[in-house]
Amino acid sequence: MKVQLQVIVLAAAALAVSPGAALAQGFKPTRPVELVVHTGPGGGSDVLARAIALMVEKEKLLPVRMQVVNKSGGQAAVAAAYLAEKKGDQNTIGLFTGVWLTTPLISAEAKVTLRDLTPVARLVLEPAVIAVKADSPHKTLAEFIEAAKKNPGQLKQSGGSSTSRDNVVRQLLQKSTGARWSFISFPGGGERIAALLGGHVNIMVIEPEEAGEHIRAGNMRVLAQVSETRLPKYPNVPTLKEAGFDVPVVPQVRGVVAPPGIPRENVEFWQDFFARLTRTAAWRKYIEENQFEDGYQNAADVTKFYDEFTDRMREILKDAGVKTVR
Amino acid sequence: MEILSGLMQGFAVALEPVNLFWCFAGVLLGTVVGILPGLGPPATIAMLLPLTFQMNPASAMIMLAGIYYGAKYGGSTTSILMNVPGESASVVTCLDGYQMARKGRAGPALGIAAIASFIAGTVGVLGLMLVAPPLAKFALSFSSPEYFALMSLGLAMVVLLAGRSMAKALLAALVGLWIATMGTDLFSSTSRFAFGRMELLSGIDFVVVAIGVFALGEVLSNMEEREEAKPLPVPKGLRILLPTLQDMKDCRFAFANGSIVGFLVGVLPGAGSTIASFLSYGIEKAVSRRRDQFGNGVVEGVAAPEGANNSETGGALVPLLTLGIPGSGTTAILLAALVLWGFKPGPLFIPEHPALFWGLVASMYIGNVMLLVLNLPLVPLFAQVLRLPVYVLYPLILGVSIVGVYTVSGSMFDLALLIVFGLLGYLMRKLDYPSAPLILGLVLGAGMERALRQSLMMSEGSLSILVSRPISAVLLSLAVLILLIPLFSTVNAWRLQAVAQDDA
Repeated sequence: MKVQLQVIVLAAAALAVSPGAALAQGFKPTRPVELVVHTGPGGGSDVLARAIALMVEKEKLLPVRMQVVNKSGGQAAVAAAYLAEKKGDQNTIGLFTGVWLTTPLISAEAKVTLRDLTPVARLVLEPAVIAVKADSPHKTLAEFIEAAKKNPGQLKQSGGSSTSRDNVVRQLLQKSTGARWSFISFPGGGERIAALLGGHVNIMVIEPEEAGEHIRAGNMRVLAQVSETRLPKYPNVPTLKEAGFDVPVVPQVRGVVAPPGIPRENVEFWQDFFARLTRTAAWRKYIEENQFEDGYQNAADVTKFYDEFTDRMREILKDAGVKTVR
Repeated sequence: MEILSGLMQGFAVALEPVNLFWCFAGVLLGTVVGILPGLGPPATIAMLLPLTFQMNPASAMIMLAGIYYGAKYGGSTTSILMNVPGESASVVTCLDGYQMARKGRAGPALGIAAIASFIAGTVGVLGLMLVAPPLAKFALSFSSPEYFALMSLGLAMVVLLAGRSMAKALLAALVGLWIATMGTDLFSSTSRFAFGRMELLSGIDFVVVAIGVFALGEVLSNMEEREEAKPLPVPKGLRILLPTLQDMKDCRFAFANGSIVGFLVGVLPGAGSTIASFLSYGIEKAVSRRRDQFGNGVVEGVAAPEGANNSETGGALVPLLTLGIPGSGTTAILLAALVLWGFKPGPLFIPEHPALFWGLVASMYIGNVMLLVLNLPLVPLFAQVLRLPVYVLYPLILGVSIVGVYTVSGSMFDLALLIVFGLLGYLMRKLDYPSAPLILGLVLGAGMERALRQSLMMSEGSLSILVSRPISAVLLSLAVLILLIPLFSTVNAWRLQAVAQDDA
């Protein structure tokens, strides 16, 4: 009886293979789509994911609902492992950021890299600006760098962890100019701003939208922007290159991955879905309001991006004295 | 006058029937979320965020804030009845609240928690309304050295949480500090004590440890004592189910203490309601005349922390609304909500959107009254839970603990940790180690280490930064004073002994 059952199951599985491929041609999600993020509610990826879920609902981009699943912990390693476990699952995707690429570089415990998952698309690049308190003596980035050169290690920058973009920008600037200033890590974005506004540190790298209100209130001044071209809302602030610092622009990146082992049709479906999403008016408005840059790339380009990003990060981390394990 | 007219405008907004409805919906949902361990306000608000896009922003803000402060009311319920903290800010409520329940005073404990929440919650809103802008400036003068001093003050409280043996209390606190170091170090990005597990890369969630040590440990050690396996006493009659006049008198200082400490700590973006509740409990015990009875079920040991975690809400809204700086998970998602609705939270938010700000303030006065009216009648009802026979109650506690931990992270690994910490809690009870110092060390450890390292980076390695800044010097002196309290009591005991001998 048991053997018979096995035969039937095997036969069914064999049958399922060929029509499966044909069905996937017109792949449609069959149950609510899980959008996995590596932060808890309120984190950057979580907010973006919920905004996407809302657009999906409003614009009716999917026949099913999209629900956000928070797999926080392990500096994105938990979320990456969760996606790896969902091997072959066609109704699950995840939102990645740079930390998904950096964590496996520095933590032996984080075994799943983005190369182990299926790339789908890159969505946005988040530019940044370099800000000082409004009453700071440094009027330009060059002045700040000069001051840092005169007093090595005495000026301070508030930022996130040692692998955050904040520190990467600092490392690149230090390397190209020979200036030295210290970097103080704060876990929360609020604490970083409070440290600058309270006069406890001298400079910080901040998201343009966050800085906007403090500039308008006259508490903050922006010295330069970390982007290739000037942001529409900062027409008079030079980019790093224009300010005389020819360092690579390191964007904060957000994109989409899928579990490993999904059929090509499924990848194409998601690629097409996100291409459609990024063309909607709601998406354009969201990007503009948050001052993000449209960073859409398809699966093939994202893979190239992974390698470039990882190589550059490895070098930067080495300069920063952080040990890499991969 | 400006405040008065603002408040009038605010009540005009908050008293609109639709806003009253959403305010009620928010506080009701908040109470439920607070009662359920694990499911916290940030997750609830995140889930409801899509719904709020159909609402007008004032109603939405009023509802989401209602969830935020409503949850603080509900958080005490399972702490008192089951020794399962409903929210991280209600962990310290377990200490005296659960002991009161064991003595048949679950009703008064729940009642005083609601009353303290109401008083302090209202004071918190008053503070938000009256002193928000100047206080926000004060919060900015607070930086790493001050945070280190504040947390040292908190950690000094360990001498007050010790049971019979100071050595055992210090050892428990050290274990707490050690657990706090687990995870990826923010400064060097290296993993510490991860034992090869990626789940440990971001450390251990404090709620898992608290539920394990308190609730599971309690159930395990109670199951062992078979003759004790009878239901906890619940007196009949409504009157004994509510706090007595004497209870209210005993709590006079606790109400003020909780209100002020909670609000001030709330204003600081780097502290939070858990620290506020521990600090106010410690202060309450330090100044109390019946210090030795704390931990055995004194009513002010419930009133102080429950008050503090409610006025913290008003405080935490100060940096959020005046500067656009969030201090906790919940305020971070409120900030995200404001941005998604098209507002720009920042220094100009209140002057540019007075109706929204004052509507929120007014709705919080109304919401606190609603919560009191909602929660007091629930007291006798909830107290009945303890009538359940132990073979129902204990599995119920276990179930609530497991579901609570699972909803925090959705991870089986955390459930395994829960069992580990349950066993640890059981062993600590067997060997007479107090569990509160462990939790205290865990709550303060990570922040304290970070603040010290940040301070030393600011001062380029000189420890003098900790004492050369006035606020931090004052806080550190207070910490030293608290450390000396046991010494005073020992000297006092010697003196009394000597006097007694002289008399004899």
